Amino acid sequence: MIKITDLEKIYRTEDIETVALNKLSFEVKEGEFVAIMGPSGCGKSTLLNILGLLDDPDGGSFVFNNEEIAHYSESKRAQIRKRNIGFVFQSFNLIDELTVFENVELPLIYLNMKASERKEKVEEVLKKMQVMHRRNHYPQQLSGGQQQRVAVARAVVNNPKLILADEPTGNLDSSNGNEVMQLLTDLNEQGTTIIMVTHSEHDARYSHRIIRLLDGQMVLENSLI
Amino acid sequence: MIRNYFKIAIRNLWKNKGYSAINIFGLGCGLAVCLLITLYVVDELSYDRYNQNRDRIYRVDSDLKFGGNELRLAVSSDPMGATLKKDYPQVEEYVRFYTSSGSKLVKKGTSFIQEDRVAHADSTLFNVFTLPAVAGNTKTALNEPNTVVITESTARKYFGVSNAIGKTIEADKVPYKITAVIEDIPHNSHFNFDFIFSMDNVDYQYGNYLSMNFQTYILLKEGTDYKAFEKNFTQVINKYILPQAKQFMQIESMDEFTKAGNKLDFRLMPLLKIHLHSDRTPELGINGNIQYVYIFSAVALFILIIACINFMNLSTARSASRAKEVGIRKVLGSERKNLIGQFLAESTAMAIISMLVAITVAYFTLPFLNDISGKTLFLNNLLSVQLLPFLVALPFIVGILAGSYPAFFLSGFKPVAVLNGKGRSGFKKDNLRSGLVIFQFFMSILFIIGTVVIYRQLNYIQTTNLGFKKDQVLIINGAGALGNNIESFKNEILGIRGVSSGTLSSFLPVTSSRTDNSFSKDAVMDPKNALSMQAWDIDYDYIKTMGMEVTRGRNFSKEFGADSSAIILNESAANVLGYDDPIGKKIYTNFQSATSNELVSYTIIGVVKNFHYESLKQNIFPLGLRLNKYQAGLASFKVNSGNMESLVKQVEAKWKRMAPAFPFSYRFMDDAFDNMYRAEQRVGKVAITFSVLAVLIACLGLFGLITYMAEQRRKEIGIRKVLGASVSNIISLLSRDFLKLVLIANLLAWPLAWWIMNKWLEDFTFRTNIGWWMFVAAGILTVMIAVFTVGFQAFKAAIANPVKSLKME
Ligand SMILES: Nc1ncnc2c1ncn2[C@@H]1O[C@H](COP(=O)(O)OP(=O)(O)OP(=O)(O)O)[C@@H](O)[C@H]1O
Ligand SMILES: [Mg+2]
Repeated sequence: MIKITDLEKIYRTEDIETVALNKLSFEVKEGEFVAIMGPSGCGKSTLLNILGLLDDPDGGSFVFNNEEIAHYSESKRAQIRKRNIGFVFQSFNLIDELTVFENVELPLIYLNMKASERKEKVEEVLKKMQVMHRRNHYPQQLSGGQQQRVAVARAVVNNPKLILADEPTGNLDSSNGNEVMQLLTDLNEQGTTIIMVTHSEHDARYSHRIIRLLDGQMVLENSLI
Repeated sequence: MIRNYFKIAIRNLWKNKGYSAINIFGLGCGLAVCLLITLYVVDELSYDRYNQNRDRIYRVDSDLKFGGNELRLAVSSDPMGATLKKDYPQVEEYVRFYTSSGSKLVKKGTSFIQEDRVAHADSTLFNVFTLPAVAGNTKTALNEPNTVVITESTARKYFGVSNAIGKTIEADKVPYKITAVIEDIPHNSHFNFDFIFSMDNVDYQYGNYLSMNFQTYILLKEGTDYKAFEKNFTQVINKYILPQAKQFMQIESMDEFTKAGNKLDFRLMPLLKIHLHSDRTPELGINGNIQYVYIFSAVALFILIIACINFMNLSTARSASRAKEVGIRKVLGSERKNLIGQFLAESTAMAIISMLVAITVAYFTLPFLNDISGKTLFLNNLLSVQLLPFLVALPFIVGILAGSYPAFFLSGFKPVAVLNGKGRSGFKKDNLRSGLVIFQFFMSILFIIGTVVIYRQLNYIQTTNLGFKKDQVLIINGAGALGNNIESFKNEILGIRGVSSGTLSSFLPVTSSRTDNSFSKDAVMDPKNALSMQAWDIDYDYIKTMGMEVTRGRNFSKEFGADSSAIILNESAANVLGYDDPIGKKIYTNFQSATSNELVSYTIIGVVKNFHYESLKQNIFPLGLRLNKYQAGLASFKVNSGNMESLVKQVEAKWKRMAPAFPFSYRFMDDAFDNMYRAEQRVGKVAITFSVLAVLIACLGLFGLITYMAEQRRKEIGIRKVLGASVSNIISLLSRDFLKLVLIANLLAWPLAWWIMNKWLEDFTFRTNIGWWMFVAAGILTVMIAVFTVGFQAFKAAIANPVKSLKME
């Protein structure tokens, strides 16, 4: 599903050049659950942003669903993104002004789905994530764990083939964290490809495979199955 | 404490330079408009206040309705003043002005200067009005015939010194001795003369109560109620006017007179009201209009409010970013009142800086105001005793008014909620802010529609069919100076290439001072059959030169010997007479001799299509045209030349040869015509300036709001983009709410604009209509302006990389 070869990302500020990704290559197959680990600043988030088509690489090739997309324009990438990819962030990134229901509904609105259809889908996923009873609350009125479940609900509501999660449990206690990991595992079992950045060895154990990065390069790739 | 507040306030303003600049500039513009309009309004309200007796002086005005014509006069008859003084002890003094033709040729050395600011006045002038002498004694100055009082600058102009007592000046060939020199009359006086001649030199048929030609002022004794005094006029009418009316009209009683649809009435106009409330003929100067004073004051206030609203909106919009500051301050022990003090200090500091900006802006735009208002105002007029406190207080008032809402709003945050990231009310659910934006655009739309209607009406005036052709007509003033040479002058001018026809006449269809005469259908002056109309003396070529159209009968012609007793009527006059075919019918007048019963008859030979000879604010009243070549004071020529300048030069050369001592003065009829609408044109210019300003300030506010909003919603925009929102999704998300507000403002403003502008147009008897497209145009314009203002910032926010904004968390 994803194949990157010699992927490069260089941040240039006035006087320093930071090589965030240094000729990185690997492949992720459909249905896989991959964890990315490494010390702070090694380029994990950068990699995830590129894989999520939010940012473009400075070099190398990026094939997504057999399509070379490294040099695609922003609007083309946006088209692919909104149909195929769901995001889960460490800080949830829910919109404070919208209710739980409205937050989850957003991706469907941008897919121009009919209101009745949206309602059905959103309610279905909210039930699955056990936050249906909170559908009319605002994010500020929820606990951290509930907020992350809403964020996961939002990421999966349009049935993406790929879910990218950047430290999804970073802001949660262990029991809430485990719940979220269980949700991701369930999704993976239903066929969704998952790429997750994490600092926790415990969480990484939920995945099939761990990619370890150091200074923008892959140092180890160990398979758990 | 207060010093500390201001220190922190200034630091805060500096820290948010962009925000402060938008606020200060907007408020500065609003205050500048306020300052300028204050100057203007104060000047308008100051008219005639220089008179010590200002509260006791009244002008005697006459209201007349007679023979199909209605007159609201600023003059009354010559015996009126003396009669009132004789019969009523409340009248302490009276004075009359007589301005006859309105100008005199004054000899200076061997040449003549046409002086327009001239009048004859009674010797009592100086007992009524306060006109201090520089030299001579004004008490006795005008007691004798052939005496004149001049102003100081006139004395300098003619004699080089201000003390010109005893010197002689020749005006219209009559010598006058200068008996006093007075200070120049202040510009804010409803009359402004350079020469005041003795009344004894006026050649007039005195004693006629029915002939109104004198501006008459009475000075009432202290404590007299002028409204009550006005009731005495009934008595005056019965005692003096009715007997005269009986004598040369068939009137038995006032009842009979009024039953025939006529009216005769006198009123007192308080001196201080003349400039702003009087719109009669003939006024002694160009008066102002109280309506415009009200309108401009309201406009100033509204523009200031619009600017204050920006201030409030931007401050509350910033609340989200300041919430944390408030929370921390409170946790550290700040009380609510300290916070309020802090925020008020900030807004006041900003208002004070804005005031400085305003003074600078006002300084540089004052010449523009002077230009459009026709005044000479100075910024230091603001430093007067009455205005200075207002000026100093203004920034504090504005600062506190505009700052109080944000101050109470911001200081009310609960620290725990704020620090937990709750409590930020965010951007959406602020109805007050939406209301204020609606109000700003509501006002802007009113201004825009007002401007469009005013311009349409001005354009209508320019292009409507006037019944004559005002373009390419050259008018030579004071042609009477040519005496018997006038015919040969006309013929010489006709010889110039490009001159196609010429006419000598006493009147032209542009406003000037004229009087009515009474005509009658029958050989007796009966008010039932009376026709009151102006009678103009014209010549054979008048109708042709003016491009008028004879609809019935014929023009004057040399082939008909008897045309000297013929008359051509306009359609209004023909209608009042009511004949099926007026041609050949006779009408009568006693014009030739005011005190005798002898009637003169005229035969109607033609009817001319109605033409507008007064302002389009008035109906076209009856008018008669007679053939009489001796009273001509105006020579007019239809000209058609690529080089008007050289044509005028040629005319001037001929004038110089035939009347070398007399000043050559000319104008074009279309300019003279435009002069009639100077007040409207001024209002038009002022309106467009204010609309632009109002829209500008409102947009500045919008710009500030959208900038803050985009800033505040950065994270949200980032999330939405990650979730698949396109650039246009984001732009519409950010601008939609604002556009909604602008649309609501339009819907609210349209009916009010329609109502106000209809009222304004009602002033014009002949007027354009208000079309629905004007509202749509104003709507589209404001929406476009809003889209433009909001769109740029929204676009900037929409194309930002979401990765960056999400990282901020
Ligand atoms: N916008 C940027 N400009 C300059 N340098 C950047 C930028 N974003 C990231 N970097 C640098 O790129 C490197 C990789 O950053 P990245 O955010 O991918 O690290 P990370 O592995 O996600 O770290 P963490 O575990 O702390 O989240 C870092 O050295 C960082 O300083
Ligand atoms: Mg990271």
